[in-house]
Amino acid sequence: MLALEYRRSPARFLTVRGASSTRFGARMSGALATNVAPLRLVNHAEPARPATGWTRLKPLLSGICGSDLSLLTGRSSPYLGALVSMPFVPGHEVVAETLDDLPGLARGTRVVVDPVLSCVARAVPPCRWCQVGRHSRCDRITGGRLAAGLQTGFCTDTGGGWSRRMLAHASQLHPVPDGLDDHRAVLTEPLACAIHSVRRVAIPDGAAALVVGAGTVGLLTVLALRAATRVGPIYVIAKHGHQRERARALGATEVFEPSRAARALRRACGGTLEHPVLGPEFLLGGADLAYECSGAASGLDTALRLVRAGGTVVLSGMPSGRVDLTPVWFRELRLVGSYASDGRGVPEGADGASTADAAGAADGSGVAEPGDEPADRAGQFAEALTLAAAAPLDGYVNAVYSLSRWREAIGHAARAGELGTIKVAFDPRRN
Amino acid sequence: MGLIREFKNLRGRRDWRGRSTTPRSAEPYELAPEPTQFPTAWARTRAARVVRFGLQRGVLKSVAWTQTRPVVRGTEYLDGVPGPVIFVANHASHLDAPLILGSVPRRFAHRVAVGAAADYFFDARWRAVVTSLVFNAFPIERHSDRRQRSLAPTLLGEGWSLLLFPESSRSQDGWMSGMRLGAAHLCCSRNIPAVPIALRGTFAAMPRGRNWPMPGRPGVVVRYGRPLWPAEGESPRDFHQRIVTAVARLWSEEELGWYRSLRLTPRAATTRTVGPQGASWRRVWAATRELPVTDSRPTRRVWPAGPR
Amino acid sequence: MSRPGFVLEVDERTPSLLVHEGDGFRLERFPLGTRVVYPPDSLPALPDVDAAIRRALLHPVDAEPLPALLRAGMRLTIVFDDISIPLPQMRPPDIRQRVIEQVLEFAAEAGVDDVELVAANSLHRRMTPAELKRIVGERVFRAFFPAHLRNHDAEDPDGLTHLGTTRHGEDVEINRRAAESDLIVYVNVNLTAMSGGSKSVTVGLASYRSLRHHHNVHTLRHSRSFNDPANSAMHHSYDRMADVLNDHVKVFTVETTVNSDAFPTQLGFLNRREWEWRLADQAAYLAVKRANDLTPPKLRRQLWQRNNAPYGVTGVHAGAPASVHPLTLANVHRQQLTEVPGQSDIGVWGLPYICPYNVNSIMNPILVMSLGLGYFFNLYRNQPIVRPGGVAIFYHPMPNEFHPVHHPSYIDFFEEVLSETTDPVAIETKYEQQYATDPWYVHLYRKSYAYHGVHPFYMWYWGAHAMEHLGDVIFVGADRRTAARMGFRAASTLNDALEMARDTVGSSPSITYLHAPPLTLADVR
Repeated sequence: MLALEYRRSPARFLTVRGASSTRFGARMSGALATNVAPLRLVNHAEPARPATGWTRLKPLLSGICGSDLSLLTGRSSPYLGALVSMPFVPGHEVVAETLDDLPGLARGTRVVVDPVLSCVARAVPPCRWCQVGRHSRCDRITGGRLAAGLQTGFCTDTGGGWSRRMLAHASQLHPVPDGLDDHRAVLTEPLACAIHSVRRVAIPDGAAALVVGAGTVGLLTVLALRAATRVGPIYVIAKHGHQRERARALGATEVFEPSRAARALRRACGGTLEHPVLGPEFLLGGADLAYECSGAASGLDTALRLVRAGGTVVLSGMPSGRVDLTPVWFRELRLVGSYASDGRGVPEGADGASTADAAGAADGSGVAEPGDEPADRAGQFAEALTLAAAAPLDGYVNAVYSLSRWREAIGHAARAGELGTIKVAFDPRRN
Repeated sequence: MGLIREFKNLRGRRDWRGRSTTPRSAEPYELAPEPTQFPTAWARTRAARVVRFGLQRGVLKSVAWTQTRPVVRGTEYLDGVPGPVIFVANHASHLDAPLILGSVPRRFAHRVAVGAAADYFFDARWRAVVTSLVFNAFPIERHSDRRQRSLAPTLLGEGWSLLLFPESSRSQDGWMSGMRLGAAHLCCSRNIPAVPIALRGTFAAMPRGRNWPMPGRPGVVVRYGRPLWPAEGESPRDFHQRIVTAVARLWSEEELGWYRSLRLTPRAATTRTVGPQGASWRRVWAATRELPVTDSRPTRRVWPAGPR
Repeated sequence: MSRPGFVLEVDERTPSLLVHEGDGFRLERFPLGTRVVYPPDSLPALPDVDAAIRRALLHPVDAEPLPALLRAGMRLTIVFDDISIPLPQMRPPDIRQRVIEQVLEFAAEAGVDDVELVAANSLHRRMTPAELKRIVGERVFRAFFPAHLRNHDAEDPDGLTHLGTTRHGEDVEINRRAAESDLIVYVNVNLTAMSGGSKSVTVGLASYRSLRHHHNVHTLRHSRSFNDPANSAMHHSYDRMADVLNDHVKVFTVETTVNSDAFPTQLGFLNRREWEWRLADQAAYLAVKRANDLTPPKLRRQLWQRNNAPYGVTGVHAGAPASVHPLTLANVHRQQLTEVPGQSDIGVWGLPYICPYNVNSIMNPILVMSLGLGYFFNLYRNQPIVRPGGVAIFYHPMPNEFHPVHHPSYIDFFEEVLSETTDPVAIETKYEQQYATDPWYVHLYRKSYAYHGVHPFYMWYWGAHAMEHLGDVIFVGADRRTAARMGFRAASTLNDALEMARDTVGSSPSITYLHAPPLTLADVR
């Protein structure tokens, strides 16, 4: 069984991390990810079905996510090191075919995988979060039957999408409607995350949102914002021309180049533009909330500088690097994380809370929150599947590689924006 | 590569000397060749003038400008003023002449003669030679009736400007004393302008008895005033009074600023230059008081102060 | 006796001709038959400017002598043109300084205590203290700054007075201090035929509310050209406003004109006709051109900005604005007017490094457009040098550079407005109000050194007449993306540009090159 395997090599990880933190290395990150990172193509025995409730999957398409690239270029935080078990096969944006019969899910069904490995899959009693259907917050992702791993694609026991076989628990699977082709279905997981992120805060009607970054996460966030909220104008900061057009097609009000984002947003939202002696300009005024979708420190920095006082910044991309948090303090911003997706279909705090402020105040208290009730795990994935079918997402996956051409694939993904691509994916069936 | 292309482009349609034939349509507008006259009169004094200019700018000016901090104002009033003129200044120090010669626009510097006391500067031959060469000085009889009649009008007639110190002697205590009428007479008779000049701080910088400026680069100020023309039928006495007032106002500008000094009555202006009455030490004491901060280096202020 | 202007016809003898292009210049070999409009030679300067000023103040036109207008206890406001003229800046002492000093001397004599000096900067950026000092001179600056020497603030809610409306319903709103004075003495430098006269006070001290009546697309399209006041709807509006103004306050204007000595003697070749270049001029050309090309752009810009024009003053006239201005205009025409027989298919202009709005600043693409299609295109009387539907070819590198402090609204205008549309009317209706009232721009205009938020719109309207008139606009040597954003085309050489123009004007077009600077006003017959 052919698979791409990421193995433990602190030396390589640190080398890549050190190199890509330099200016020259940052430009060469594609080369670093493919040549120095501890990723290799291996041929292992096929995994066996570990228990009932599990199935083997034959991945049809498996996307390369920004977090995968962060890992390969060493930008991801060592914090996550405790939450993975090596060696593992990456790949958590998977559309696959089941190879075993499951109750209610016949063999050969096309499914998408919700990658979070929560209490159910680990066969432990549900933690407080899994009880209420918020499995992305599961506290037991290092315990139970499986090796540590926050998601499929980071766990040594389940395998991942960048291979010809992997394992998944029935609770992770969502059947793909026949009308939805693989190229759209592979976007379901990131779209579910996007829907999750726009549900993390209650967005008042007509609020002005800023989306920093127009890669997969950014674009799908725009889509989710338009579909799932009654947000007002959506402003997108996009580096590349094709991203601009796509963002507009998905409902962005205006799209700015990074260099003129501050000025343009000031024109759009009002306020004054200030120039510190050192560092980038910022706004007194600006958007009501911002979605950081670039995964870069500079993206978060931009978001923090362009949100109005009391505004909210949602971290959709996996954060990396160091960021000046002064605006959070000075502008009394709320910094909200958004990880994966869960089963809740209703906006958090939407009941009764009508402003972004109120939404944030209700968040993260750790006790059961208003609106916390057990929910069907399908939740945001079901929404994502519906949305993926309806939205203008053609051409998003326009670079598909076989596993053996993984170096090209990773290199392409590292420069996807420049190359006019949103999502690069593996088709493991190909030779 | 670029240079060669540029060169070719430039040389195109020109002869080897770089001349272009006038285009046909431009022929009616051709320039008549300029009449070139080769002057001979200056040749006799040219060497002297070159040496003098070198000495004045190279030695005198460099000493004066390194040993003191001169602030020069008002030279723009000389723009467009045809020579010759008579510079009229107060006199308190040997620094005075170098400061004026070093600050006067070059046009005048080349053709200015300095009136110098015959009984001092032209007393010894070597001193006379040096003074004449360095300052283009001409003798003025201080204690004789023939004063200025000898050379000044001739020099003016030849187009030389004059620098005169009508107080006739350096100040004893830094304050001004009465000015003589000679300059006004010359102006009125020849209808040429007088340029008032006030020097401040030179007494403190290098008083009588010193032959080198005080250490510490004292500040000095040279203020030129607007040239004064004798009015039709104006008597030399009246014109003299205007000159004196102008010098006095320039003198007061240091403390009062321009506009307020302009508004001083002639009497008030001259009173200010005479200094306090009383014991001589008090006069010297007041004269050597440091000048108000001059504006040679204005404090950099990006935001203007609000209305007071 | 200086020579009059004339039209050269390029023949086999004609050497390459000089063309300005931003912070630089080049020699261009024009096709045979190209007509080149040369201005009259620089006029001799007045030998004694101070005496001329004095004479003008004592013997004004249609007004009492200045001393007779001054009395103790009166409110006197001296208003002067801002840094936008003359171009380049005048080598000190500035003519305005000379005039103001003499006016003040008369005022001092008369015992006037309440004297204020106001720069007529309208919606232009405020001048820095150093810039003010340079214009009024050190003495005046020391005596009056900062309390009594100020920039006009068109957004000061307490600093404006609405004087009424004209019979066409145009609001006349000007600086309160000036409006409430017993006498305004306006000190002007008249570089082009568009300045001075009624424009001085009604525009220089006006507010947006007042300016919008004549600074709009409709008026500009009917100002043909705005350098010919008799045929300029804009100037008719100024005149109507001046009538209203005259009912409220007495204006004593002092207008001055300068000759065309725009460059120092070291750059003498820039002022000289090419076939008369001596070897020294050619060597200077080569050296300066080479050095200029090798200089880093930033430094180059600074060096050019440091060029002070050794202008000579050609005339000083004082008195009632309406009576003084014709005399001033005559002087301007004496220096600039050149008769041109008929229009041609293609007009060529070399755009220099400076325009009224980038003194000590950066020439941004919008200013390039306004300099080319606004100022230079409109350097005509009777009719443009290009026929309707013809092609304009400009030389300018047009880098995408903006001065962040001076031109903040320009940046947004370029990115936001021009990416939507370049149609002046559409821009005016959709965006002008927003930009004019944007509180940040207002703040920057008042407290920083920014042009008013609406100013880039005016720049765009400036070119409205040309855009309507021309069939195509090509910029030689321009940045392609920048040119495209503004709706123009970019060519790398003149030959390419002529090739591109073929679609519009055919294969053997007639060409007229307006050789400027020094400024030339083409009187097209």
